[in-house]
Amino acid sequence: MANIVKEETTVTDQNMLFATEEDQEDELRDGVPEVLTEKYLVFHSGGLLFGVDANFVVEIIINHVITPLPIVPDYVSGVINLRGQIIPIVDFRLLLCKPHQENCSIVVLNIDGVQLGILVDSVAQMVDIPEGSILPVPTSGNSAQKYISGMCTLPDESGTLMVLDSALLLHV
Amino acid sequence: MSNSGNEILDMYLYETNTLLEQLDSIVLAAEHVDSFSEDDVNEIFRIMHTIKGSSAMMEFTPLMTIAHRIEDLFFIIRDKGMNIVAEEHRPLLFDLMFQAIDYFRSEVAKIENSEPFSENIDTFIENINSFIAKIQQEPSSGAPAAASAPAADASSAASADAAIAGFGTDPAHPHLLHVLFDEGCGMENLRAFMLVTSVRDFCADEVFTFVPEDVETNPETAEFIVENGFLLRFINAADRDKAIPAVTASGSVKTYQIADEAVPAPKVEKTEQAAPAAAKKPAGQETAAPAAAPKAAPAAAATPAPHSKESLISVNLSKLDHLMAVVGEIVITESMVTSSPDLKGLKLDTFTKSARQLRKLTDELQDVAMSLRMVPVSGTFQKMNRIVRDMSKKLNKPARLTLVGEDTEVDKTIVDNISDPIMHIVRNSMDHGLEENTQDRIDAGKDPVGEITLAARHTGSEVIIEIRDDGQGANYDAVLEKARRVGLAQPDVEYSQREILNFLMMPGFSTNIEVTEFSGRGVGMDVVKKNVEDVGGTVVLSSEPGRGMTTTLKIPLTMAIMDGMEIAVGHSIFTISINNIRQIFRVSSANIIQDAGQKEMIKCMDSFYPLIRLRDLYQLKEGLDNVEEGIVLWVESGECSYCLFVDELIGEQQVVVKPLPEYVNSYNIKTYGISGCTILGDGNISIILDVANLYSAAQGL
Repeated sequence: MANIVKEETTVTDQNMLFATEEDQEDELRDGVPEVLTEKYLVFHSGGLLFGVDANFVVEIIINHVITPLPIVPDYVSGVINLRGQIIPIVDFRLLLCKPHQENCSIVVLNIDGVQLGILVDSVAQMVDIPEGSILPVPTSGNSAQKYISGMCTLPDESGTLMVLDSALLLHV
Repeated sequence: MSNSGNEILDMYLYETNTLLEQLDSIVLAAEHVDSFSEDDVNEIFRIMHTIKGSSAMMEFTPLMTIAHRIEDLFFIIRDKGMNIVAEEHRPLLFDLMFQAIDYFRSEVAKIENSEPFSENIDTFIENINSFIAKIQQEPSSGAPAAASAPAADASSAASADAAIAGFGTDPAHPHLLHVLFDEGCGMENLRAFMLVTSVRDFCADEVFTFVPEDVETNPETAEFIVENGFLLRFINAADRDKAIPAVTASGSVKTYQIADEAVPAPKVEKTEQAAPAAAKKPAGQETAAPAAAPKAAPAAAATPAPHSKESLISVNLSKLDHLMAVVGEIVITESMVTSSPDLKGLKLDTFTKSARQLRKLTDELQDVAMSLRMVPVSGTFQKMNRIVRDMSKKLNKPARLTLVGEDTEVDKTIVDNISDPIMHIVRNSMDHGLEENTQDRIDAGKDPVGEITLAARHTGSEVIIEIRDDGQGANYDAVLEKARRVGLAQPDVEYSQREILNFLMMPGFSTNIEVTEFSGRGVGMDVVKKNVEDVGGTVVLSSEPGRGMTTTLKIPLTMAIMDGMEIAVGHSIFTISINNIRQIFRVSSANIIQDAGQKEMIKCMDSFYPLIRLRDLYQLKEGLDNVEEGIVLWVESGECSYCLFVDELIGEQQVVVKPLPEYVNSYNIKTYGISGCTILGDGNISIILDVANLYSAAQGL
């Protein structure tokens, strides 16, 4: 997954876009000759939709044993042993001040060489988001928005995506 | 490109450092017998040749120049035999060699730190020259290669025809390309060979020949090329034209000209090409040199070295660490597979047999992987030879160094960490240990030449390094008096000899009032002690007045593995180093005493110790409350000694220590006694506790 880099998609034919959702149509940008898109991994957490740049995503694991660490804040769930590597895990729900939930998926990110796993409710899909369609967040300083660098409507209009700023995760 | 340039630089530094170490030991050994054997001379000649060659490739001119002069010097010695150096000149020769080694070392260090070279090498060159003159008694021929180079160059430039004629003719390849290299660029034969290699990229092998033909294998051809240039012959002119870009792109090409043998026709002197090429040289160094070097560096190393029975390869440490991690994984995965719950109740004879075989192999693999990190201490020990030699001269105390058990192997990290402490102790022994005057030694009935022994040996999981001198030993009264004066010792308390010696290792203690060149620079035995303790070792001093002093370092074989005791609190598993555990016992609640601050204490061995409940300290959700149900560990580290209450003991296990990720370390968990973690056999993670920090965290609550 990490090798999925920026890719150019030609928006000429409706069916060419978003191979995973071929039945969905994207009439809005129909007729625009070329749009640069960026792949995002969409996940659910605390009833919200989040997207994280696929370039940061190493892998998704489920049902891994997390070893809790004492002393650290609540939102640091602990560490996991991922094939010999010790990776810290942050509970994304707790970051958003939502109650903890069992049965979560871990999205392992590599943010500038630092490995970090985030606990999310479930992982939804990969989407291509055209550059420029990510809009700024209205400032209102609530905790959920602390880690959000932008928002955008999903191409299939099934919801609104909060775009996660991975670098901010390292400085909670 | 820049990346591969760095690799070449790394290789250069590694190679040069290795050669210098080799050179150091050769010269040291030779100084003992006061002569260079024929093998030594050849070896030094080879080393200097290689350094000269690779330095020239990297365009480190000062290094190249000096290596070149020393090579000349040893060329003479090789030619005429060691007898040419008169007895009285020999100490000078050895000193000169040591100076050279030190010079190379300092310059290589400068390259490593990307500092500029010290340009002033004239005096040093002058020293070598005058020495050459001294042994030759005819200064004029002292510098054959250097002197002839400019001369030859001038002549060949003046009469290029004559130079070309000097190559003889070859009717099959009438189209000539005559190349002249920059003056004094060194290693002309290899440059020529590289040129041939790059020409091969443009022209097929069959369509050209070159003169001299044995440039790759015969270093002597360098001189020929300096004098006559290098000649490429082509069957037809088109191929030659194709080769010209390769020639212009090569570094150090001063000029070239084309000529046709059959037709004594227009020679095109490409001066306009030569000028940019020459002008390009300083600026284009970075571009031209690295491009040339990949082929050149191995060639330079390989050419003059029929000796190279290389059975060693250098591997990046991070690769080894990675290998260790993977091997650790394999061991865990293997036990996961063979003890998989899916296999329960099945009777699988072949599977069990193969699984046993696999276990054997993984165990072996683990042992081999562990041994890869082990290096002999001889490298560190050999360095001490030089220190003893230098100090022996400076302080005028004859001394010799005896090495015992240099093959003893220790983890690489540990070897790096004990090098400085050993050096310090050896210096101390030379400076303070051995008697000031030889006469004192003779009076005491000892060999006038002092002896320092460095010994290493294994005992199970530890390596023991002893630094022994046969000097005067510590003066207990003086040490005690000094300790009282600086306030380390109580005025009217009696101290045992061992306690007195321990004062030597306390911060702020130095028996030497004067700061000498070698010791007493504020870096004392306390730093030695600290360095050794950093790698998990201990220092013990012992001394016998008049017989000498022994410093013993006890160091664990590796830092990465420790004997741990697994303990559990609720569902959390922790590991404590066995070395810190004094006793494990159960207590009844009657033995617990509470102080005014609600802190608990426990009585063991007629003394009271604080009781720390790990569960309360870490605010764990699970765990036992009743002291009688759980178990108490009496732990100790340095100054602190206390009891730790946990739920249960799981067992003793050798664990591989892994650091915790930086992300969680940023929450200051180290100050709460969490120093790392380890992966257990079932893949779970256990947290390693640091007894000392845990105590201070508990006190701080």
